[in-house]
Amino acid sequence: MDPELIKEVVAETLIEASTTFRQDQFLAYQKAIGREENLNARWVLERIVQNAGVAEESRRPLCNDTGIPHLYLEIGEDVTINGKFFEWVKEGVQIGLQKLPGRPMAVKGKGLERIGQNLGLYDDPGMLSPAPFQIRTILERKIIVTVMMLGGGPDIRAKTGHLFHRHQGMTLIEETAKWAAEEIGKLGCTPAVVSMGIGRTHYEATCLMLEAMKEGNLMEQNELEERLTEVINETNVGPLGLGGKTTALASFVRVGPLRAGGTRIISARLGCCWEPRRATREIPV
Amino acid sequence: MVIEINTPVSVDRIKNLNVGDQLIITGTIYTARDAALPRLVKAIQERRLGGMDIHLEGGIVFHSAVSIAGIGPTSSNKVEIEESIPVLSQAGIRIHIGKGALSPKTVKALQEFQSIFAVTPPASALLTQRIVSKRVVAFPEEGMEAIHELVVREFPVIVAISQGRSVYDKVKRKRDDGS
Repeated sequence: MDPELIKEVVAETLIEASTTFRQDQFLAYQKAIGREENLNARWVLERIVQNAGVAEESRRPLCNDTGIPHLYLEIGEDVTINGKFFEWVKEGVQIGLQKLPGRPMAVKGKGLERIGQNLGLYDDPGMLSPAPFQIRTILERKIIVTVMMLGGGPDIRAKTGHLFHRHQGMTLIEETAKWAAEEIGKLGCTPAVVSMGIGRTHYEATCLMLEAMKEGNLMEQNELEERLTEVINETNVGPLGLGGKTTALASFVRVGPLRAGGTRIISARLGCCWEPRRATREIPV
Repeated sequence: MVIEINTPVSVDRIKNLNVGDQLIITGTIYTARDAALPRLVKAIQERRLGGMDIHLEGGIVFHSAVSIAGIGPTSSNKVEIEESIPVLSQAGIRIHIGKGALSPKTVKALQEFQSIFAVTPPASALLTQRIVSKRVVAFPEEGMEAIHELVVREFPVIVAISQGRSVYDKVKRKRDDGS
């Protein structure tokens, strides 16, 4: 394995995730613009698409809250790696943040000083450490890296908690949709893309929520996802809160293994208009 | 129809702007948010503005940081930001740019002091592209939250609050009606 190549691929994947709309994002926005009757809402949606074009062309961040890097590493069963591999990936993240450039938002100090942000911030965007990696195995002899950049606003509008299913699976969707409809007006950067994981523990549900963000396609929605989006759109909050039909663009739901009993743990996140900021590339082995 | 606005902005110009008007702004705007706005308000109230390189009459304030990652609106209903709006309007700021609903009290203050609130999406690549030049004019120790003077060209916004009307009231009413 070539450490420099690994770092380069990871850095480029991070930059792509931060600066580039995928095809499903462009298509979902075009569809929303086509059905939106509210002129203010349409103006916002058109500016979002215009911004995506400028960002890709100029390789500038889509949003100045460039987000916290979350990485998925899918490693072939026959691929041999050691601990250094993960250090090279971290260095790739650092290089990507410096080249992007990411917003310098790593907090100095330890313990209470870090919590209170009393010593200020690092000027170097590369000081922002990624969230703990998610690792999966795959059959193919290769390594695939997915980088997602998670913004701060959506993390304020996110929660994990328990819900009773009452022997009707849709109860969880309806309850979560009700909560999301109450919260969505506070997000600001609508239209939202809602992600939801359903699991046995808070940790597992949040991992599943992240997996939903990694796998989700805005143009391919199942029954659960369509219902979640439908309830949120009934609020008429609209893009940027200006009213209209497009409060949520789509939803991603991932159901994991579940525990015997009447309770399910859910993790839900009201992603902003740029999310999921995501890109995937293969690392040569 | 898109309305072109050049700075400084006169009160007469503001009187003709309505909720939902799409504007493109060319000229000078200031950026400030949570850290710098309370300090600016204090400077105005203590009549210390004379010693600063800031000109509020006919001015525009954009609620944003200026970092190497670009510019983009922060929520204007954060306490320290929203509290600055009446004082700055009275001191001559004609357009406040940010995002999010503001309270009825702020809507009233904007009307009283003949100012408006406009919003823009967090379209950082697009907004950053519209910067012609930038410089720090106050509180450099606040880093990316220092007050910056930006010269911008065709900066896109939409009027959200004007003459006592707020686009967010309409949205809320619709929700309350269940329609």
